[in-house]
Amino acid sequence: MEIYEYIDTREEYSLISRDTPLISNLNMIENIALIKEVHERLSIEKAENIAKEYLEKIGISDIGLNRLNECNSLEIFYVMFIRALMSKEMNVIIVTPFSLISNLRDIQPIIDSIEILNEGKNILIFDNITNKSHYEGSSCPIVK
Amino acid sequence: MIIRFVEGIGYKTVSTLSSFYEALKFTFICLVHMVRPSSYTSAMRMVLTKQIYFTAVTIIPLFVMMAIIFGSIIIGVVIALATQYNLQDSIGSIIITFVIDEFSPFFTALLIALRSGTAINTEIAVMNVNKELNTLREYKIDLIDYLFLPRIISGIISITSLSIIFALIMLSSGYVFTLFYMNMDLHTYKYILINAIEVKDLIILLLKSIAFGFATMLIPIYSGLKTGAAYTAIPISVLNGMVKLFIAIFLIEVLSLLIQSL
Repeated sequence: MEIYEYIDTREEYSLISRDTPLISNLNMIENIALIKEVHERLSIEKAENIAKEYLEKIGISDIGLNRLNECNSLEIFYVMFIRALMSKEMNVIIVTPFSLISNLRDIQPIIDSIEILNEGKNILIFDNITNKSHYEGSSCPIVK
Repeated sequence: MIIRFVEGIGYKTVSTLSSFYEALKFTFICLVHMVRPSSYTSAMRMVLTKQIYFTAVTIIPLFVMMAIIFGSIIIGVVIALATQYNLQDSIGSIIITFVIDEFSPFFTALLIALRSGTAINTEIAVMNVNKELNTLREYKIDLIDYLFLPRIISGIISITSLSIIFALIMLSSGYVFTLFYMNMDLHTYKYILINAIEVKDLIILLLKSIAFGFATMLIPIYSGLKTGAAYTAIPISVLNGMVKLFIAIFLIEVLSLLIQSL
């Protein structure tokens, strides 16, 4: 079964994949804040403050006003992850992180940052079996 | 051979009617969202403000300059012709009908279509190809509320307000020409215009501007939305969108002339 076919069988989730890129005409804070502004009808100021707080948690608050082309792939990934956390869905699915972040060798630093950011959501990482070696020794359970 | 020809005609007709129905459905959905208060979220209002700024405010210097140059020349020609054909008695209604009912909304719509219509068509097409529209769908952000409605409303507001500015500039230029051709003083010119203008003229200006504004934004958005998955589809989408938009602008103009002549 293909990854996306499997994802479609799951309940409500927020997706982080190549098919859900950041919006290029918004900066990083606006990309994150947009979800809360629309879903929870928060004011722009409140939603952007929440976005800034999350960026500060992992020490990348300096990229808040940057556009997509001014950030590296790791920063973009973190912003996509924070954006996923902003939605009401309890499941966050990350699809093939090694294709999203260039030159990533070890998944553990990503998992550490996810643990700092996450507040009670289920985080699922979907990857191909060929990337199995990248996950060996990591702190998260692996299900084949 | 004949069967294939007839089948070809049938296929073309069905696909044309089907895409026309799709476009009408899209227009109807946009109109429904426009009157729904829940569409107006803080994010939508922010996009609307930005769109009004980019569509109506940044263009003002260029627009005023074009209004002074083209508007003055055209109103000058109209006044010169009216004088040549001894129509001085009707000069007020000629100026009002030409400037307010016809030229101002039409010229403004053409300028905004060229400037913002192409930009919006490209923007939506690029977002479509880059899968950014898919992102919005995945995160359950209504494309119409967040992306399309602010652009459509900004088009309506921008074309209406710029048409009024254009009409005022043309009427001011009209005074200069009536002064030279008819030795008319400012007081008389104002008196003639006030006597000639009717509520009907203002309603026509308003309705035409709204129709132009709606079409000028809706057609490029729809065209951008229908772009294929490749970057090479973007110029084709813009080209098709612009051709459809210009046909729609001329159609609105012709329809308004027909309705006025009834």
